[in-house]
Amino acid sequence: MVKLRARCLFVGDAAVGKSSLCHTFYSDGSLFQKNYSLTTGVELLMKCINIPETNDSVELYILDSAGKETLVESCEKMWGQPSLLCLVFDLTNEKSFANCSYWMERVHGHCKGLQIPGVLLGNKSDLSARREVQSSVAKEWAQSHGLEYHETSAKERDNCDAPLLSLAQAFHSLYQERREAIQNLSPD
Amino acid sequence: MIDSPGAQIVLASSSDENHPPGNITDGNIKTFWMTTGMFPQEFIFRFAETTNISAVTVDSYNVKHLKIEKNTSPSAAQFEPVVEKELERTEGHLQSNIISLNGSSATHLRFIITEGYDHFIAVHRVSVKN
Repeated sequence: MVKLRARCLFVGDAAVGKSSLCHTFYSDGSLFQKNYSLTTGVELLMKCINIPETNDSVELYILDSAGKETLVESCEKMWGQPSLLCLVFDLTNEKSFANCSYWMERVHGHCKGLQIPGVLLGNKSDLSARREVQSSVAKEWAQSHGLEYHETSAKERDNCDAPLLSLAQAFHSLYQERREAIQNLSPD
Repeated sequence: MIDSPGAQIVLASSSDENHPPGNITDGNIKTFWMTTGMFPQEFIFRFAETTNISAVTVDSYNVKHLKIEKNTSPSAAQFEPVVEKELERTEGHLQSNIISLNGSSATHLRFIITEGYDHFIAVHRVSVKN
């Protein structure tokens, strides 16, 4: 049995639903805040995920970081070295998708050359009539940046567990891979 | 050089039951303690009595920045810094570093890994030279 710990960074433009998603994950779907409240700093939430078919688990230290441009710089100081990335955009807002490249760049500056597993989330999938970003386009972009693509609706609690489970599993696989590599090292 | 006589580990910040912190003091370079994510990570050594230490040898993998602190108190608290070191990256073999402690007397030694070259690092052996 092993308990892994990962720093999971949530970024993306303001009002795409990062905090709603974080709280939906955190409360297993029992909490959806109907009023918008702008996140001005970094909120920390801890969620433990069991890896199916093992006795292992991953403790996710979720950092919900403000998306508003003027606040990003001060929030960045609290990012530390992330282990996992959750990049969120709003499916009904083309600009929030276009800005994903900018967010990737920002995050990479904190990774010190380390590869970090990540997911791209297209949120607000319930607002289908207002959709501006097609799944295929988002999926292609995600793949070209090494991210796994999911569409979610924090409001309908739709597909909200899958992304975090997938991140936890990716981190668990990475651990096993590294452990095996270290086991096979030769002394000196 | 002897492998940390009478020394035991009283705290470690990570534990995988297959790679417990006791692997650092068992004298076997093949077994290791592995960290399980995020930094900093640390482990604390306790000696049977206050000991003068001229150097420690640390065999590890993917450790980037290491801080060593000590105290001469019977409890594992109130540490003072001794040395900090940036370790070189190795590929495919262990990092082996001799770190001078200039004959510091200590009851506890605290090893803090503030940064790694990967998400996870391993410490295979710490040997103490009196």
